[in-house]
Amino acid sequence: MTGQSGRVPAAPAPRRFLALHLPEFATDRLRRAEPNLPRDRPLATWAQIGSRRLLVAVDGAAAAAGLRSGQALADAQAIAPDLLLRPAMPEQDAEALEALALWGQRYTPLAAADPPDGLLLDVTGCAHLLGGEQVLLRDALARLQRADIAARAAVAGAAATAAALARARLDNPVAVSGIEAVVAAPLPLGPALRLPDTVLADLARLGLRRVGDLLRQPRAPLARRFGPELLDRLDAVAGRRAEPFRSALPPPDLRVARDLMEPIVTRAAIEAALDRLLAALCARLRDAGLGARRVALSAWRVDGAVQEIVVGTGMPSREPAHLGRLFAEKLGWLEPGLGFERMASEAWATDPMPAGRQQGFGLGGTEARDAAREAEALGQLLDRLGQRGLRVRRVAPVASHWPERMVRALDPHASVPPMPPGWAARWPAMPVLLLRRPEPLEAVLMPLPDGLPLRLRWRGEVHRVLHAEGPRRLEPEWWRDRSDLLRRDYHRVELSSGVRLWVYRAGERWLLHGHLP
Amino acid sequence: MSTAALGTPLDQAAVLAALRARVARLEGVGRGARHEDGPVPVCDGLPLPGGGLSRAAVHEVLATAPGCGSAFCAVLLARAGGTVLWIASGGKDEPLAWPPGLARCGLAPADLVLVRAERWPDALWAMEEALRCPAVTGALLAPAWEPDRQARDGGVDLTATRRLQLAAKAGGALGLLLRSDTAGERGHLGPSAAATRWRIAPLPATASADQGADVPRWRLELLRARGGVPGGPWAVAWHEAERRLTLDQEKGAAAGTGDGRRARR
Repeated sequence: MTGQSGRVPAAPAPRRFLALHLPEFATDRLRRAEPNLPRDRPLATWAQIGSRRLLVAVDGAAAAAGLRSGQALADAQAIAPDLLLRPAMPEQDAEALEALALWGQRYTPLAAADPPDGLLLDVTGCAHLLGGEQVLLRDALARLQRADIAARAAVAGAAATAAALARARLDNPVAVSGIEAVVAAPLPLGPALRLPDTVLADLARLGLRRVGDLLRQPRAPLARRFGPELLDRLDAVAGRRAEPFRSALPPPDLRVARDLMEPIVTRAAIEAALDRLLAALCARLRDAGLGARRVALSAWRVDGAVQEIVVGTGMPSREPAHLGRLFAEKLGWLEPGLGFERMASEAWATDPMPAGRQQGFGLGGTEARDAAREAEALGQLLDRLGQRGLRVRRVAPVASHWPERMVRALDPHASVPPMPPGWAARWPAMPVLLLRRPEPLEAVLMPLPDGLPLRLRWRGEVHRVLHAEGPRRLEPEWWRDRSDLLRRDYHRVELSSGVRLWVYRAGERWLLHGHLP
Repeated sequence: MSTAALGTPLDQAAVLAALRARVARLEGVGRGARHEDGPVPVCDGLPLPGGGLSRAAVHEVLATAPGCGSAFCAVLLARAGGTVLWIASGGKDEPLAWPPGLARCGLAPADLVLVRAERWPDALWAMEEALRCPAVTGALLAPAWEPDRQARDGGVDLTATRRLQLAAKAGGALGLLLRSDTAGERGHLGPSAAATRWRIAPLPATASADQGADVPRWRLELLRARGGVPGGPWAVAWHEAERRLTLDQEKGAAAGTGDGRRARR
């Protein structure tokens, strides 16, 4: 290790990393998602940890008011009464960070999220395109600032060093490669190594506060006392150990388009163009390990009009012949007029599809082939029914006790989730038919004000009640429903004719809700 | 006399069986579907040709109450085993097939596709398409229950049922036509090409020792059977836990006297 100007010959092609630290990413994301949050009030997110409600992330204004993450929610509200609070959503933060990593690919093809609050860009050989690392760094910071994302940055020869510099220094430094240990030595341990507070406190008791202090210690006792993880981080920051770099992958581009040499009008020409498009699309699907569930075909007419037809499949598919057959039924809908000059096909919905599953269409056993053929036939049938204007639905069971919410309509091509445990088994009897709008009944003879009626008037006729069982009381789902929804007392009623009905009482009214077997 | 003249005594039963099989082949009754699955069992102990409802055929179910008819059909469709289309005709006021209840009859949501057609011709067309599809093992067509719509949906005539029957024969699916029995009471029940015609009515539950009030009981009657003999009425009980329909032996006689509608149609 020589001075700032020295180059270490051991690193033949020094890598260069830009680290971006986004200290307020969670709150910045919230403000971007909810643009009308008042800017002049501090914002923080909180989460329930055990029995306590603690702050998770605070923005600059909140930090200035003396709030920090890990503080009790009640304390924070006492300190800053105008504090805006939102529940912490770590999954969404992670998703947004991944998306931001894709934005980072404007500078380099290798950009990765560095959760929870950073980005890492491998800018080796990319910086000169913008005029140097300093310029690239300022450009990235300026763009993030325009997007209202607070950021600090650093460039160094190792990813962990750059990340440590960005977190520990406020001046957005650019450090030369090869002297990572020298650069990192004066950094405080907390932000540089991203250690838990308990470990930091232990180290501080030993008088170890900076990276350099640790570097001077014998390694074996450190590893014995604090575990190998500390040394791993230390080595990474000091540039002694290269960390694997996992670049964010952009979502696969599942859209192919073809400009046609001259406008096409005939069905044969359209089919030929479609075949080429589907072959290209299926190749991309195969590369991505996906199978299409919905595919759209768009056709641009010479006069500028765009026509679109969509097919759905019952099972993920990436077989051009199969998709072609599905489209063949609908190609007649296209009106070429003076001809199409551009066509595109795009997979709108996809499911993961491992290689080899497609074998059913060609090489696999007869059973697999039959299953695939049946799925295809069913998909075509459901498409045809839907196109005729019929309402075609599959239903997903939903874990809810409120009858209207126990099922959710699905697209006919969607796969149905499994039944939640005890989903339909909770009641002694369930109606096979449910009335969309419960039908009013009239209790004619009711011996007790809260009891069951002995006679019910239904559609103008009075029926004797033979048996009745109930009530089973249902409370509205207060977290979802309007507050004026009444609780329901459900009864199974058997009329003298043997007809079994599912009725409920809400307030003073009796209503028929379903027909029992 | 003629048998004696031939000299060799003919085994009459065998001859009859052979002739019956030949007629059945001609009519397409009892023919196995695409899968080598047998007919769909209805209830132990019922004398049905072939032992159950033949696949690749359409069967008519007349129900006096929507609940028992839908449950009976759901049980049969679940036994067909596979993707099932439940096609209902009618507007928004019609009761909806409700998957939790159907699941209790054995029809899992994963196998179920619900179709609603506003207009009756669309519903008939959908049923025909569904029966023709090799991936569908069962399809149900339910005209509207509301009396004022029934008149319009009354088009379940010989032509319509014959078309459905041909579609089912081509596709191999079990087709069920669930109709309200009030049409029969008014004498509107026309001829039909369906393989069987059933009537089902609810019976009051008996809280006996072995079955509580949770066991629905129905009065089942086979009004017509192509290649078979009509029969019933039988009192049957639906045991949900075991997914089994059983014949209620001792109650059978009582069921017959239910309301005296035993006229053959």
